[in-house]
Amino acid sequence: MTIRIEILKERCKGCGICIAVCQTEVLRLSGDTNEQGYAYPVVEKNESCLICGLCEMVCPDFAIWVRQEEEEAMP
Amino acid sequence: MNRDRFHPDHPFLYADFFPTVWCAGCGIGTVVHSFIEALKASDITPRETGVVSGMGCSRKISECLKLPSFSVSDGRVVDFSVQYGLEHPTHQVVAFLNNADFLLTGAEDFLQLRNSGHRLTIIYINNFIFNTAGDDGFPMTPYRRKSFDGSADLPFNIPLLASSVGAEYIARWTPLRAGWIKNALMEAFQKKGTAVIEIISPCLVYDSESRRILDAAERMQFYDGRTVIQNFSPLNKLDLREGKKIVLGTFVDSAPGEDKR
Repeated sequence: MTIRIEILKERCKGCGICIAVCQTEVLRLSGDTNEQGYAYPVVEKNESCLICGLCEMVCPDFAIWVRQEEEEAMP
Repeated sequence: MNRDRFHPDHPFLYADFFPTVWCAGCGIGTVVHSFIEALKASDITPRETGVVSGMGCSRKISECLKLPSFSVSDGRVVDFSVQYGLEHPTHQVVAFLNNADFLLTGAEDFLQLRNSGHRLTIIYINNFIFNTAGDDGFPMTPYRRKSFDGSADLPFNIPLLASSVGAEYIARWTPLRAGWIKNALMEAFQKKGTAVIEIISPCLVYDSESRRILDAAERMQFYDGRTVIQNFSPLNKLDLREGKKIVLGTFVDSAPGEDKR
């Protein structure tokens, strides 16, 4: 079972709400900026994500979402 | 583009709307997200909806949704929603209102509901000011805090007004409690009458001018510390004023067969 946190950095406006609501500090603000000059979040500790979906729920710009994937079986 | 890079709500949104027109951290985007989540969770066909919005910042809600959506003229939102609901009785009509649509030019339309029991979900996004007009006072502007200077009058009590118009479901939430907005919408969709959900989503311009809150995350924590959840508290104690906790929760939830009239 792998957790994938997808971030569309071209949509982000850098409000930082997703970083503030995260209880386990998975996300942090990157030093880089996107095309519009906003600093976007990046995933720092993927393994401590609880898949609560709060960051996805509060994001006003539809820029972040969390997915849970089944690992592919070994051949 | 890789298929994995599409947002789960991608089928409901126009891709060329992004990046959205709203300010960074504005609560309107969160309300739209909660609305789409509620629509997906309840058994409503997306074709059988009607999204109506009026003017100002909330006008853009109906422009970004791939649903039967309408941007109507200033203040005629409730009137248009009622007529659309009468035309299409099976449709779930949702009206997104802001301050001007709800309490100034649209107030007469809202009062015309007067216990008529139309099936309609009203989402009132209360941001305390006129965003664009700036200096005007307004019925919801906090006491001694106008858009930028100071208001002499106390703000309005929306749940009490909605109750007097005969709403079957009344709730109030902030955008931080997005999951609760989703739950409230799902309950409101079950009702046969009018449902009013007030969203306290202060304007970032207002907060940065009057409270010196410059960051959206800082603003979120500011309002999180000043809200308290009290379900079914008395409606006459719900007015907003400085130095008093903002009461959130579900205030009126009528049983399915109950006749409010």
